[in-house]
Amino acid sequence: MKRLTLALLSTLALAISGAAVAQDKYPSKPVKLLVPYAPGGATDITSRLFGEQLKNILGQQFVVESKPGAFGILAIEEMARSKPDGYTLFVGNVSTNAITPVLFKKKFSIDFDKSVVSVSRLAIYPSFLITTTTNFDVKSVSELVAYAKKNPGKVRYTSAGVGSFPHFDMEIFGRRATVDMVHIPNKTGAAGMINDLVVGDAHTAFLNAASAAAMIKAGKLRPIAVLAERRLTDYPDVPTLAEAGFPGVGTLHWQSMFAPAQTPKPVLDTLFKAIVEASKAPALQEAFAKQLVSVKPSTSLDEAQTWLNGELDTWRKITSEVKIDLTD
Amino acid sequence: MEDFFANLVLGFQVALTPTNLGFALLGCLVGTLIGVLPGIGPVATVAMLLPLTFKLEPVSGLIMLAGIFYGAQYGGSTTAILVNLPGETSSVVTCIDGHQMARQGRAGAALAIAALGSFFAGCFSTLLIALFSPPLAKVGMSFGAPEYFSLMLLGLVAAVVLAHGSVVKAIAMVVLGLLLGLVGIDGNTGGARFTFGTIVLSDGIGFVPLAVGIFGLGEIIANLTSPGKQRSLVQEKISRLWPTAEDFRLAWPAVLRGTGLGSLLGVLPGGGATLSSFAAYVLEKKIAKDPSRFGNGAIEGVAGPESANNAGAQTSFIPMLTLGIPGNAVMALMIGALTIHGIQPGPQVMTERPSLFWGMVASMWIGNLMLVVINLPLIGMWVQLLKVPYRLLNLAILLFCAIGVYTVNNNVFEVMLTALFGVLGYVFIRLECEPAPLLLGFVLGPLMEENLRRAMKIAGGDPMIFVERPISLGLLIATVLLLLVVALPAIRGKREEVFQEG
Repeated sequence: MKRLTLALLSTLALAISGAAVAQDKYPSKPVKLLVPYAPGGATDITSRLFGEQLKNILGQQFVVESKPGAFGILAIEEMARSKPDGYTLFVGNVSTNAITPVLFKKKFSIDFDKSVVSVSRLAIYPSFLITTTTNFDVKSVSELVAYAKKNPGKVRYTSAGVGSFPHFDMEIFGRRATVDMVHIPNKTGAAGMINDLVVGDAHTAFLNAASAAAMIKAGKLRPIAVLAERRLTDYPDVPTLAEAGFPGVGTLHWQSMFAPAQTPKPVLDTLFKAIVEASKAPALQEAFAKQLVSVKPSTSLDEAQTWLNGELDTWRKITSEVKIDLTD
Repeated sequence: MEDFFANLVLGFQVALTPTNLGFALLGCLVGTLIGVLPGIGPVATVAMLLPLTFKLEPVSGLIMLAGIFYGAQYGGSTTAILVNLPGETSSVVTCIDGHQMARQGRAGAALAIAALGSFFAGCFSTLLIALFSPPLAKVGMSFGAPEYFSLMLLGLVAAVVLAHGSVVKAIAMVVLGLLLGLVGIDGNTGGARFTFGTIVLSDGIGFVPLAVGIFGLGEIIANLTSPGKQRSLVQEKISRLWPTAEDFRLAWPAVLRGTGLGSLLGVLPGGGATLSSFAAYVLEKKIAKDPSRFGNGAIEGVAGPESANNAGAQTSFIPMLTLGIPGNAVMALMIGALTIHGIQPGPQVMTERPSLFWGMVASMWIGNLMLVVINLPLIGMWVQLLKVPYRLLNLAILLFCAIGVYTVNNNVFEVMLTALFGVLGYVFIRLECEPAPLLLGFVLGPLMEENLRRAMKIAGGDPMIFVERPISLGLLIATVLLLLVVALPAIRGKREEVFQEG
């Protein structure tokens, strides 16, 4: 009997050490990157570009799986409920991982704060405050404000939907500038917003810079300010929104990687180091530069988390200030 | 004009390189395959193959993805005709007469006309893209919210004409479709409608679960409940594979009309292939000397919509390439593919990247040729498929439907939804309610609502906006005319009598 126990114990010990070895070797099988959007969008492209580099660095495939729907809740919950072993990760953005957890807290069947951990920020997409040239002749932020003051309720802006960050941003901008503008939401996102502006259904919007670039070149859209830490090298004449007199207004459209909260620290460390290394790869740098995106990994695992907490706090504040009526 | 030929030469130089020919062929083959498999659509396939294109030259990647997209339009008609299952949104109306033709042993003729009509439409619309992209893009850009609303209104009124049962039932189905389309978060207020407090319904009901459930599963259940009927299909002698001279005589004007209509509607963002095929069917039925043949295997009912959806699929590239505005989900993916390469589709693409633009245009023509070459010999094989016992075929269809629905959003809930709609589809068959108007209501309803509310916001609440804008006014006048035609007592008398046969 004793022998049997011993044998069992030693098998168990072997199994445990085996597991430890496997863990040291993370990743030893393909990793799933859940993306809360349909393929082809900014978040999808970011995860694919990073996934490609992570594969080169860690030697395993990073497979992007899209699970769109319910403001990202479906995908976040699937990630949070999966085994916390580092083989199911999540790439989200300011909408899905800072606004959704605040605005739709009650819709979650998990506790977001306790179930999700931030691995690292990946990239930040700059946006333009943009106006159409189709039926609108405003060339700067001050002209926009002056026109909107003179014509209350006549300036229309588009956003990616009620409760989306371009909607909040424009609401806050309107409050600071004390102007009254009409909201024309477009559920189809950036492409739909561009259409609204080009046909003249809407006059202005906060819009992803890369998406707007082609129409700016064609003279259909006009950037009047940029939402970024500094001016873009490709658009040296476009002031930042802070320079144009509205510091602190506008959302930086960031994208980050997340993991289930119980994921072991060594796994997170491995991932974090790999992300930092990936962000330096010339191919990735070049691909992002073409889209005017700045690659911005977090400085440490802790910074990634404190930064996410800061973002969540910011959005708690914004959503309590700007009450957007979202009936359940 | 000289420019035009120089551009075409450049295009063919790009498209005829062995690599690009290979990718066009690959795209067409994959497209045909997924088109034939019910439920598995081009969106999921293009999404899966997207990473592959990151390593290719942008033009090669685009050529392959484009091949998948229009290949699926060809393939989609095959399943629609043979087993009454729309492989694609745009082949929904092909089921109506195409499947009836198959039941009468004329599956070969239906498939051949669908392929040839698509080929003609493909050639014509490719030429259209080459010649008129910039001016056509402007047409798309003149469509604001009021114009869209009026267009959708016209579409919905036409939907009632689409039905071949009672008018009351048709209206009921349109309204039911509208209601189903309302499910989810309202884009204007953020309020949830008909979601029963669940988050799975917050994005609304997907088109794929609805269409596959109501058309495909409903049909399978109906087949199982009436064993006699299904045997008749298998035993029916398939006399000939090729259409008769009479078929050709009836079909070719329909092909021309479908191509024209499809090319025009495809340019509109959001319209595209689906709207074109619905519209073409309505048109054919309206101008036919004997509308009673529709719903009973009229070849025009296959030729018109099939040409229209292919033309619409091709011209939907115009807003994507020239404006960077995707008309449908596949176009959105293509923009994603180009973005990875640092190309932002927009008005500048034609001048800045002529080899990309013209290479793509030339490859479309080559792709269409490949498709007709691939598809015509396959007709014999597809028709043999009808001889497979239904008990086996049904299982296979069911399996592919489940896989196909799941791959759209990786969501099990949608598979269950499909099963539910399957039961509903069977109920509709028993009640003799036509599902096509329901789907049209489902697709157009939400668009119509959004554009109505948006137009009212733009006008500050003044409904005159719809008659002040010339395009919108024109569409409204067309709607009124259509209503008058339907309401005229003399015609109505005939119409009722005609429709009762359906």
